[in-house]
Amino acid sequence: MPKHYRPAGKKKEGNAARYITRSQAVKYLQVSLSLFRKLCILKGIFPREPKKKVKGNHHTYYHTKDILFLKHEPLLEKFREMRAYEKKIKKAVSKKNRDLAERLLTRKPSYTLDMLIRERYPKFIDALRDLDDCLSMVHLFAALPAVEREKIPVNRVHNCRRLGHEWQAYIARTHKLRKTFISVKGIYYQAEIDGQKITWLTPHALQQVLPDDVDYNIMLTFLEFYETLQAFVNFKLYHSINVKYPPILDPRLEALAADLYALSRYFDNRASTAESSTTSFSETDVSKDQGEGPNYDESELRLAQLQQQIPSNEPGALMHLVQNATETDEDDSETRECKTLFKDVKFFLSREVPRESLLFVIPAFGGSVSWDGEGAPFKETDQNITHQIVDRPTQGHKFLSREYVQPQWIYDCVNARILLPVEEYIVGRIPPPHLSPFVDNEAEGYVPEYAETIKRLQAAARNEVLPMPGVGKEDLDDPQNLLVEGVLDRAEAIEAATKKRKMSVLQKQYHDELKKELRSTQISTASDGNKESVPEHVDAGEDSLPDLSQISKDADSMSKIVMPRKKQKLLKAMEIGKERKQASVDRLKERKRKIEEGKKSGK
Amino acid sequence: MKVPRRSARQKNLQKDAEKEEAINLLEQKENTEEAVERSKDEEAVEEENFVESPVVSDDDDDEDFSDDGSLGESGSEDSHLSGEEDVFLSSDGEDSFDAKSDDVSGNGASGSGRDDTEHGKDDDAESDDSRTVVEESDSSEDEVDPRNTVGDVPLKWYKEEEHIGYDLAGKKIKKKERQDKLDSFLASVDDSKNWRKIYDEYNDEEVELTKEEVKVIKRLLKGKAPHADFDPYAPYVDWFSWDDSKHPLSSAPEPKRRFIPSKWESKKVVQYVRAIRKGLIKFDEKPKEEPSAYLLWGDDSSAIDRQGLAYIPAPKPKLPGHEESYNPSLEYIPTQEEINSYQLMFEEDRPKFIPKRFTSLRNVPAYEKAVNENFGRCLDLYLCPRARKKRINIDPESLKPKLPSRKDLRPYPTSCYLEYKGHKGPVVSISTESTGQWIASGSSDGTVRIWEVETGRCIRIWDLGESVSHVSWNPLPERPILAACIGEDVYLLNTGLGNAEEQKSLDELLRVETPSTPDDSDNDKIAVNWVQDDKNGGIRLKHFKTVSSVEWHRKGDYFSTLMPSAQSKAVLIHMLSKKQTQRIPFKLHGLPVSTAFHPSRSAFFISTKKNIRVYDLLKQKLIKKLETGVREVSSIAVHPGGDNLIVGSKDGKLCWFDMDLSSQPYRVLNCHPKDINRVAFHRSYPLFASSSDDCTAYVFHGMVYSDLNQNPLIVPLEILRGHASENGRGVMDCKFHPRQPWLFTAGADSVIKLYCH
Repeated sequence: MPKHYRPAGKKKEGNAARYITRSQAVKYLQVSLSLFRKLCILKGIFPREPKKKVKGNHHTYYHTKDILFLKHEPLLEKFREMRAYEKKIKKAVSKKNRDLAERLLTRKPSYTLDMLIRERYPKFIDALRDLDDCLSMVHLFAALPAVEREKIPVNRVHNCRRLGHEWQAYIARTHKLRKTFISVKGIYYQAEIDGQKITWLTPHALQQVLPDDVDYNIMLTFLEFYETLQAFVNFKLYHSINVKYPPILDPRLEALAADLYALSRYFDNRASTAESSTTSFSETDVSKDQGEGPNYDESELRLAQLQQQIPSNEPGALMHLVQNATETDEDDSETRECKTLFKDVKFFLSREVPRESLLFVIPAFGGSVSWDGEGAPFKETDQNITHQIVDRPTQGHKFLSREYVQPQWIYDCVNARILLPVEEYIVGRIPPPHLSPFVDNEAEGYVPEYAETIKRLQAAARNEVLPMPGVGKEDLDDPQNLLVEGVLDRAEAIEAATKKRKMSVLQKQYHDELKKELRSTQISTASDGNKESVPEHVDAGEDSLPDLSQISKDADSMSKIVMPRKKQKLLKAMEIGKERKQASVDRLKERKRKIEEGKKSGK
Repeated sequence: MKVPRRSARQKNLQKDAEKEEAINLLEQKENTEEAVERSKDEEAVEEENFVESPVVSDDDDDEDFSDDGSLGESGSEDSHLSGEEDVFLSSDGEDSFDAKSDDVSGNGASGSGRDDTEHGKDDDAESDDSRTVVEESDSSEDEVDPRNTVGDVPLKWYKEEEHIGYDLAGKKIKKKERQDKLDSFLASVDDSKNWRKIYDEYNDEEVELTKEEVKVIKRLLKGKAPHADFDPYAPYVDWFSWDDSKHPLSSAPEPKRRFIPSKWESKKVVQYVRAIRKGLIKFDEKPKEEPSAYLLWGDDSSAIDRQGLAYIPAPKPKLPGHEESYNPSLEYIPTQEEINSYQLMFEEDRPKFIPKRFTSLRNVPAYEKAVNENFGRCLDLYLCPRARKKRINIDPESLKPKLPSRKDLRPYPTSCYLEYKGHKGPVVSISTESTGQWIASGSSDGTVRIWEVETGRCIRIWDLGESVSHVSWNPLPERPILAACIGEDVYLLNTGLGNAEEQKSLDELLRVETPSTPDDSDNDKIAVNWVQDDKNGGIRLKHFKTVSSVEWHRKGDYFSTLMPSAQSKAVLIHMLSKKQTQRIPFKLHGLPVSTAFHPSRSAFFISTKKNIRVYDLLKQKLIKKLETGVREVSSIAVHPGGDNLIVGSKDGKLCWFDMDLSSQPYRVLNCHPKDINRVAFHRSYPLFASSSDDCTAYVFHGMVYSDLNQNPLIVPLEILRGHASENGRGVMDCKFHPRQPWLFTAGADSVIKLYCH
């Protein structure tokens, strides 16, 4: 009898019953492997790692319950139905029954994924938690060309684009963007919604490479799910700020590929209608008066008519002010900070800068922005423009009233949450290094030079009692506002100062204690020697005061001796990790030193 | 219709049985006339029924749909078929074939009118009934049934065997003896009929073909039917009876209903028309567009938790660091040499991302791996097994065990207090006198010295010529005798430290009356000579192998010596008062390394390289075997309580055995990176020490509680440094002062150090 004999009728137990391999699962579900993959992707079912791999190491194991879960999925039945329907069409076509084939083609069964989303993310917060991959994928596909060969349909790409813009519009509108980072791979954004940090990557707005060694079917399956998820998330988010979803956009702006701007205008319109319906009509009237500028257009009128017949259109400063006034109390301090970063700054984008990204980032931090092209809210010649974003070697014509800065300035300002001095970023200069906001420099052990500079600037800005340079006349017009701000700032400054004092006191204490400790250990060792070795003729072969480091090392090794082996190994692993980290930091420092040496010798 | 059904066996045998069959066929010839006639009639009737029945049914079911009629027809046909099958089921398949061919041959005979004269008498014999003929043919075939029953298997399987197969009874059929080729050739030459002989491999026999068979073969070769009387062009027999019909089918006129529109169809059409008019059926209708998104998460408070297994969220992708910036600080960009060095790395170790710097945003190209990386992430999401892993985020300090404060465990030796210098070679061994006033040391320069502990003064030197391997004081204070091992000799030296009375008794003790001739009967042929050594003032015990150590019994009369290379006589026990030597009565398992007497009982410890055995000397039996689990034991020391034991090993491990607890070490301390040379217990303080070649000596607190439930407490206290390394050796020996918490260490740098508290 074999060692692991199991009687014929006896049920499996343990890992053998709990996990099945992929091929077993496929056979059990009676589906093809590709369909199984698709189901797994849509259902979010992933392989597991059983403690004991019954069938061997080179298998993928799924939990039996997961597979049962798949088995009872209505989608599985739906897929079978669709397959049968495909056969029907094929049959009709091959029998040259064109009428039937056409009729069948118009009534193809389709499926929806909403119940799956509900099932996978029972709460909205769950969906937000898993949104990172979704957003990155949607933004990537928005930038991909629609390729027949890889079966990337145009409408999918457009849909992705739309979803991405809707998302960005929401983030910008509610000022939830926190961090941005231009990397080689694209631009990273981090937003915070309901306490969830959501990070996504948008590729640079350039022609993307479509490699051959990628299974686009799988990516499209993922995308299918993500598109649905994103749509529902967008709906929920828009619903939360009382805006109708899906938004109806100004077709003219849409045609000009300024979707984001169109969306923001849509928001403003919606907001104004909400205002008007809830609060009073006078405000909207004001806004209307203000808004009726040079940009008034037929198409906008039409758009407005679509939106509850309110003819307001301009996302002007006043609209923002109205909105802000009503919303401030519900925002947290960070949102308030983000909202007011570019409050009094007006940007103009040159042709060559990445417009989509900046159109997203600047409004998210409270700035107003225009660009070179049709449909722009204001022209380059506008006198109120304070900053022009350019990315060219030299700038020919310059307005004296504005700064010409490189786009990196915006991103660095956003990360630092202060307006950095523009000198470093002026046209034609090589900007200072762009640092990642996602790194905790202290934990990493190495602080780049520019990070320290920024820190100093931040500290300076915090202590500053005066309002920012370049704060407009509007604030001066409102002395109360100024006072309030001033008072606030002063209070903050006082607080910071007291904090600093406290810190310094604490630090001093700590240092004193350290010194004391050192001294005491020395004394104790010395006293030990004195007490016991009364006869003074010590053959002092060794140092009378042994090395402190030696003592600590000894203590270390002695405590290690009595440690269980398991813990010893753990400690060793920890030490290795620390060493590795330290090595990378050392490498950076070494490089830095060499660079500086090179600079000195060069001078 | 007449399909001969052959059993598998018969099919297999067909080839070989062909000729027999042919013979049968020829023998049976044309069946008797009646049989032929009868079968003909039967068939004709059946055929008639078969053909005519549809016509009849068609006539019957004139009002019904034609489809139904066809059904009935097929049913009747079925019944005929089954009826006919019955006939043939009764007889064997082979027979039916025979019958058919008989029929045909009969026809042929009647058609051609030819008669085969050769089978005339057979004809007469079997002319009673066709049935009997069939049965007889069956039985006749059984008679010539092949002997072999192996079936249709490749015959080469039996090539190597001695038998060709099995007969019906299951017995082996032996192969026939092969004839010599020459003989067979000669025989064939002689035999005029040789050309018609065929070797039947299957049955392992030679068959001689008959004339008829040859004829059949010849016909076959010509491509004709095997039987001469088979006529392939027999005239067609029309079985249909054309009694009163022009056509084989009904010639009735088409019914009227076939020319008028269906009432039911028109009703259905009216129904459809009405439905269309009412709008129940719509054409060109696109499926209704549902809103793609709606408020899925209305109120989260009412949401049900996720069903099924606990969800393991996928880990989020790593956030980018400074180095991924399009414009990183210069120090993040690897130099060209570093980039080149990446090429030498293994592909897995190579960094995935090499930072690059662009001076302005407009220069940044599209990232070519964007899709690949996203795809990789997709694969991770649906292919990677997920498991919850506990990430321990603990302070490494918290891993270290809480030890009692060392201050509370004082006194213990901490610092070097005194050095004893004078030896000119590595000090191999030291020993403390039981009063604690003196220490003795033996060095590889060949001298044994006695030092005063307090002052460090060397009071006596013996130059014994050879390297000293071990020294040991007699534990009795009134017997200041020092035992020293030098090469193959053990000296018992009179130190002359006692008072006059003691000295006198010592002189008495250390006197060997006669140069003892080894008494074979007593000493079990142990060649140890007790010799008076006047030069050094003591006794010299001449051994036959190198002695590595000498240990005194607590009473000071017995001592044991160890000669590791002396195999069964490796451990000897000597009695000083009687000047006797005896071998220990135990078998030694392996090379002994170290020995020790129990401090209070009559037990004796012998350590081999791996294990330690404890023997009872009185009962002369093994008490315990301790498994150290170390590579090689170097020394052992017994706790003064007697129940605990420490073992130092050559791989730097120190094992503490609690002998009441287990035969495995209670605690293994991995303290020294190099060999441990000696371990020692303090006689009164709860201290023990180990000395090692890494030039350190560790001092431990080793508290043994009288409460048996409490395990011994072991705390490392101090690392004593100070000795210098010489030829890879460090601290050779360590001994505690018998009364004070002081430790003596002997170094390979020829210095003895005293560490005090």
